Amino acid sequence: MKINASDLVKQYRRNGDDIRAAINYFKNNKSPERSRQLTFGGFKENKKEMENNGGSVGILEYVKKHRLGIMHIGNKDYPPDLLNIFVPPPVLYYRGKRPDDKLFNIAVVGSRRCSHYGREVASYLSRNLSRIGITIVSGLALGIDASAHREAVKEKGGSIAVLGNGPDIIYPPENRDLYKEIEGNGTIITEFAPGTPPLRTNFPIRNRIISGLCKGVIIIEAGQRSGAMITGELALGQDREVFAVPGSIFSPGSRGCHKLIKSGAKLIEDIDDILDEFDHLFKEKNHIAAEVVDKKNIRKQKRPGDISLKDIKLEPLQSKVFEVIGCRAKSFDDISICSSLEASRLLKILLFLEMNGMIREYPANYYSRSTKCGTF
Amino acid sequence: MFFKLDSFALVGVDAVKVTIEVHLSRGLPGLYIVGLPGKAINEARQRVRSAILNSGFEFPVKKIIINLSPADMRKEGSLYDLPIALAILAGSGQISPGCFNDSCFIGELSLDGKINPVRGLISMTEKAVDLKKKYFFVPAINAEQASVFKEIDIIACLSLKETIKTINSGSPGKNACRRADPDLSCNNCETDFSEVKGQFKAKRAIELAAVGMHNILLIGPPGSGKTMLARRIATIMPCLDLQQCIEVTKIQSLCNETSNGIITDRPFKNPHHTISRAGLIGGGVYPRPGDISLAHRGILFLDELSQFPSNLVEDLRQPLENREVIVTRNQVSYCFPSNFMLVVATNPCHCGFWGDRENRCKCSEREIKRFWKNLSGPIMDRIDIRVFVSRLKEEDYINTELGENSEKIKKRVERAVVFQGNNNKDRKIKYNSEADAATINKWLAGDERLRKAAFMVGKRFKLSARGLSSILKVSRSIADLEESKDIEDEHILEAAGYRAIKTYG
Repeated sequence: MKINASDLVKQYRRNGDDIRAAINYFKNNKSPERSRQLTFGGFKENKKEMENNGGSVGILEYVKKHRLGIMHIGNKDYPPDLLNIFVPPPVLYYRGKRPDDKLFNIAVVGSRRCSHYGREVASYLSRNLSRIGITIVSGLALGIDASAHREAVKEKGGSIAVLGNGPDIIYPPENRDLYKEIEGNGTIITEFAPGTPPLRTNFPIRNRIISGLCKGVIIIEAGQRSGAMITGELALGQDREVFAVPGSIFSPGSRGCHKLIKSGAKLIEDIDDILDEFDHLFKEKNHIAAEVVDKKNIRKQKRPGDISLKDIKLEPLQSKVFEVIGCRAKSFDDISICSSLEASRLLKILLFLEMNGMIREYPANYYSRSTKCGTF
Repeated sequence: MFFKLDSFALVGVDAVKVTIEVHLSRGLPGLYIVGLPGKAINEARQRVRSAILNSGFEFPVKKIIINLSPADMRKEGSLYDLPIALAILAGSGQISPGCFNDSCFIGELSLDGKINPVRGLISMTEKAVDLKKKYFFVPAINAEQASVFKEIDIIACLSLKETIKTINSGSPGKNACRRADPDLSCNNCETDFSEVKGQFKAKRAIELAAVGMHNILLIGPPGSGKTMLARRIATIMPCLDLQQCIEVTKIQSLCNETSNGIITDRPFKNPHHTISRAGLIGGGVYPRPGDISLAHRGILFLDELSQFPSNLVEDLRQPLENREVIVTRNQVSYCFPSNFMLVVATNPCHCGFWGDRENRCKCSEREIKRFWKNLSGPIMDRIDIRVFVSRLKEEDYINTELGENSEKIKKRVERAVVFQGNNNKDRKIKYNSEADAATINKWLAGDERLRKAAFMVGKRFKLSARGLSSILKVSRSIADLEESKDIEDEHILEAAGYRAIKTYG
C-alpha cells in the first residue's frame, strides 16, 4: 500500500478545503484571528461555506473557551520538522504543552492488536528514550500506541499524541486516562478542527504528522497492511529514519516489520541502535549535555535476558525462581516443576518478585522477566 | 363425639403444628374437611374411606366434620390421610386413644391401607421434638430420615392396620425404630483431585476456598478443566456435622420425597444457564427452595457465567450477603437458608482464547472489555478468589503421574477449619469469608506490620477497599492453613496472587 502526498491533497478537496490556499494564507503570516476562512469544517474559501461552518469567530471563541491551543504554519515555533514535509498541516490545534524542540522526537507505532511481546517492547523502548529526554510521538490508539504513551509520559521526555479527530474528542474512549496524562506531560495535537469525528479516512492523513514530527519512526508489530506500515511508508517519503523491531517468524503480526527490515529498515534491539543514528544531533544540541551523560548510563544498562544473578541481591529461593523464569513467558506449572516448589510457596515468591518489578504476570498464569528489572 | 390429634404442615423449610379435630354427629352421612384444605386434602375423603374399609374397620355412618386448625392457614399435600383416618376411628370408638396426647402423625394412605412417604419429614420431626412429643408415627419408607433425632420415638408405619395394632397395644414405644448414631461420613468418592493434572495454582486456590468458604472464580479457555475442578471441590470440604446434615436434609426432602435417611454429602448444584428465576432463587405458587437453597452447605456452580442472564446473577447478591433468601408469596414469607459456596467458571473472552500463549484469540480489545463488563460489578466484588486455569500442554496431558488425592487435601482443610473455628471463637463468624469490616479491623489493629504489608499490596495492585478486604480474608485462610496465629507478610503476598487478574491495555 502506498499513500502519495497528492492523495492527501485530494482528501482535503473532498472536504471542500483547499489546503494549498490555507498554507499560502498562513505562510504570509496573517494571524488566524483575522482569518474568516478558518471554520469548524476546515479552511473554507467560499463565503457561503464559511457561514455554514460557523465562521472563524465561532471556532476561535470555542478554542479559547475550552483552553485549546492553536498554532499555524506561519508561527515561529511551528515544529520545524513538520514544516518540510510535503503537505504540512496549515493549522494545528493542541492541548497541554505547546510543542517545542528541546531535543527531538521519535515515533513509536504499531498494531492495535498486539502481543504481550509487542507491548513490552513498546514500553521498554519508550521508557528508555523518554528517560534521556526524547519525546515519544504516537497516535493514541490502543495496543502499541497506548503502551508507548503510557511509559513515555512518566519520564522526562514526555509524549505527543497525534489524533485523527478534533482535539476535544477522546478516541478511543478507553484511553481517557491516558489522554489526561499526556495533557499533563506532553501534547495532544491534531490538525482537525474541534468537533471533527474520528472518521476512518482521517487516520492515514494524520499518520503523516506522526512521522513528520519525528526524526525517526520505530515500528513494532505491524501487519502487512496496517496503519503502522502506512506511517512507515510516509516516513520514508519524508526522509525519516525507519526502525523496525523483529518478532517471531511465525507471527503474522510481525510480517510488516520483517518486510521493512528486508527492504532496508534498521533492525533494532535496543535504544543504542536508535541513538547511534542520531549522534550528530546530540552534538548539535550540545546545550543538553546532561542528557548525553544519561545516554551513556543507559548504554550500560542490561537487557532482561542478560542479567545474571550476581547483579541483584535475592534470597536463595527467590533467585532460584528468578533463574527459572526466562524472558519468554513460562507457565506457573512449568515454573513449579522446574524449581520443585509447591504452589503455595512459589506464589509468594512470584508475588514478591512482581511487587519489586522483577517479573511480570500475564493472563493464564504466565510469567516472564520484566523489562524493568535491568534498572535495579 | 369430638376428638383431636396433632400433625404438621410445612411453611418453607420449617414445620408448624396442625391440630386435626374431628366431630361426629347425627345428620346426613358425609365427610367434610374445613380449615383451608388444598385440593389434595379434599381428596383425602375418598382415600380415607377406602383405606378404613379395606383395613377391616367400619367407616361410621355419621356426619363427620374435620377441622384443620389453625383454620386460616392454607394447607397443601396428602400428608393428613393417616391422622384423619385415626381421628375418625378414635372418634367412633374403634381404637383406644391412650397415647394420642403424646403422639403426632403424618402419612399418606393408599386405598388398600398402605402408607406412602411424605415430603419434608425431617422438619416435622424437629418440630415434634420441640413440642416434647413422645411418639411420632411416620411412613415406614421415611422412617430412617426421622430417626436421627434421639429425643423422640419414631414409629414406622407400613399400613393402617398395623399402626392401629401398635396403638391398641398401649405402648407404642416398643415398636419404635432403633435409634442408631447416623453414619455421617460423606462419600463423594466418584471423583478425586488426583485426576486433575497440573493446575497447581488453581488447586491451591480451591483448597483455600474450602478452608474459608470463599467464593471462587475460575477463568480459563474451553477445555482447560474448570468444570472438572469445580466438581471436585466437594471432595475436599470437611464433612458436615449432624446439625448441618439435618439442615441439608430438611431442604432436600422438600423437593424429593423418596429420599431415605439423612444426607451427609455436601450438595453440588450445577444449574444450566436457562434456569428460571424461581428455579434458582426459589418460588412458585407453593414456594419451593431454588437451587441456591438446595446448594445450602455445599456448592453452587455456575458454569459459563457470561451466559447467565444478568438479572439472574444480580439476584444472587442478597442471598450471598445474608446467607438466606426470603420468598414472599400470597402474604406469606418463606425463609430458605442458602449458605453456599459460589463457584463460577467463565471463559476469558468471547472466543475463549484470550491470554493464550499462541495468541489464538480473535477478539478485539473492545470486545474483551465488553465481555468483562457483563461479568464485573457487585457479583465480582463478592468473589474473593479469582484464578486463571490454563490449558494443559500435550506433554502434561499424557503424563500419567497422579497428583495429591482428595483425602490428603481434605485432612489439611479439616485441620485448618478447626483452627479457624478456634480463632474466630469470640466472634460471630464461623468462616473467614463471613468476616465483616469490624472483624477485619481487629485483625489489622493488633499488627503494625500487617497494616504496612496491606498498604503496600493495595497500592501496588491498585485495589479497591473491597479488593483489599478480600485479600485480607483470603490471607487469614492461608494463615489458618499454616496454623499461624497472625497473618504474615507472605500470606498477604500469596493472597494477592489470587486477586490480581491482570486487566487490559
